[in-house]
Amino acid sequence: MSRYVQSELANPTRFLGSRRILRARRVGEWTSMVTTANVDLIPRTAQVPPSGLTEQARAYARSRLSTGEPTVLHGPNPYRRMLVPDAVAEIDFSRPLTADEAAGNRALSAHRLLGTFYEADTVLLPEQGLAELRDDFDLFYSEELRRLRESAISDLERFAYTFLPSEVDVTGAWTVDALDAYFQHAAKAAEVGESAALVAIEQSRRPEVAADTYLVQLALDGLTEASAMSKNLGGAYGPEQSALFKIFIDEFGYGVYESKHTTIFAKMLRSRSMATHVHAYWNFYLAGPLATNNYYYYLSRDHARFFQYAGAVTYAERVFAPGFVKMIRTYRGIFGEDVDLHYCDEHAHIDEHHGRITREQVLLALAEKHGPSVIPDLIRGIAEAEFLGGWFEADTADQIRWSDAIDRYRELGAAALSSSGEPRRVTLTPDTPFGTRSHDGKTVLRIVEGEADLVTQATGEPDRLAAGDALLVPAGRVYGLRAVSPRCAYDVHVAG
Amino acid sequence: MDRVVTIDLGEHNTVMVGHDRFFVFRSAGKVQLVRDSCPHRGGPLSLARLTPDGKRLSCPWHGTRVGVAALMRTAIPMVRTGDQAAVILTDVDAEAPISVIRRRILANLPPVAHDEGGPGMARERERGARAGVTVG
Repeated sequence: MSRYVQSELANPTRFLGSRRILRARRVGEWTSMVTTANVDLIPRTAQVPPSGLTEQARAYARSRLSTGEPTVLHGPNPYRRMLVPDAVAEIDFSRPLTADEAAGNRALSAHRLLGTFYEADTVLLPEQGLAELRDDFDLFYSEELRRLRESAISDLERFAYTFLPSEVDVTGAWTVDALDAYFQHAAKAAEVGESAALVAIEQSRRPEVAADTYLVQLALDGLTEASAMSKNLGGAYGPEQSALFKIFIDEFGYGVYESKHTTIFAKMLRSRSMATHVHAYWNFYLAGPLATNNYYYYLSRDHARFFQYAGAVTYAERVFAPGFVKMIRTYRGIFGEDVDLHYCDEHAHIDEHHGRITREQVLLALAEKHGPSVIPDLIRGIAEAEFLGGWFEADTADQIRWSDAIDRYRELGAAALSSSGEPRRVTLTPDTPFGTRSHDGKTVLRIVEGEADLVTQATGEPDRLAAGDALLVPAGRVYGLRAVSPRCAYDVHVAG
Repeated sequence: MDRVVTIDLGEHNTVMVGHDRFFVFRSAGKVQLVRDSCPHRGGPLSLARLTPDGKRLSCPWHGTRVGVAALMRTAIPMVRTGDQAAVILTDVDAEAPISVIRRRILANLPPVAHDEGGPGMARERERGARAGVTVG
């Protein structure tokens, strides 16, 4: 664990952001639209709701809940997520993401926003109680932010997922038998295939740190597990609804908190001395895992996509069991008995049942009952879940490999400087809010004054960069810089 | 039984299953796998050309006009992810040999500039109409 993380975990009140500080930040050019809530969203000079996705995204990212704290980890405050307003401001949201932009700031920033929007439609309360965070609670669920989310979310979904139909296409005349044949084929491919992320962990020069990075990506869902599924439990759709509920109740531990999957996921994190509160590792989520997690909310929010959801969840439940068997093997190989893998054991077992239940009682049952017109939607859900799962794995593996090779990327950065364009300068102090970001293309960072720690993974020691040092950041790789001298300045060069 | 074949659409455009042949047909932004057999007399639709309006294929054997929309409705189930496609072949003999190859597909070329219907098409048109296809 890095020294930052240790000190932050030892002093959790640093995360909380006292009311005094929050109120001080409200003074100035921002004003509240509602006197009872601490909303500082709309500039005093422009008290009209922002219109257009680009402006709406920028406005949301300027909220005081989104502008970060100096700490590397997020505190036990589920309402604050660093959205890196400067990175959001770079994005033209009128042009949707394309498949080849999977790695980049556009995807990362959009999915951070989208995930925040989705989770604002769930109930989040801090473990330690709300007393210190009432202001943040009020703002997170305020009418102003809710209206902003509601006005932006459909366009943001379109921005984030428009590329899927061109990347995944379902054609032909389908039958239930053909659906099952394709499902079994996709499931088998996942079962026998390698996990790119687990391979990267095993090959890493710091396998413990790499294994933690994978846990961080899983924590995105693991600490709020089945929240998207809960949105498909209402209504009336027959035995298939009851089948889905059986899975849901397993996820929720049969009403026993100690058995809830989120609880046993937290045990796994705790065994690695990692933080267990929701989104402690927000700064380290990658675009692929965010897009994968958001996808299930995307399908669940719009019930016109219910059959896609049914296909996607059937695929996920089917491939979880063999996936967690592989993860257990890798983690036992690295940590021996020094990690609590109850969560993985539970999934390796229960998802055998969930895979069977969803296939027989949801996927095939829906196809039999509702006929050929729904089968392409079911298939699309399976195929898109498989596609996004591949992005999750590849993105995580790429981050691990890049983080392992920082010394080489220092050399590449120095070599690339001569051919890079005009730089943009960024100045930091130790009190500057910490955020991570990525870039849409290759970028070179060059320290011009002071020293900074380069943070690329949630645990492990950061890499120290001093004046004169350069670093090549490939498109999509996520990093944060934190000043360790009273002042640090660095230039950001576009390297092509 | 059902069998699943994976093909790289960047490399291959034809699937042979026993004596049956299917080709990758691209139309209106869609990529589909269709039977390479004219419903009239089994002519190779992969060597057919699109009519000037782009709505039909004109079979090279007898000039039979096969509607693109009708052809698409009978496409083989396929899931394309990027350039990779999984094709589901239903009710296929478990022992039937399967191969994927690349051939020239004239059906994917732009429509011909003028109608290529030749003499003697009237009789075939009449027969085709009875068979649910348009001839010449």
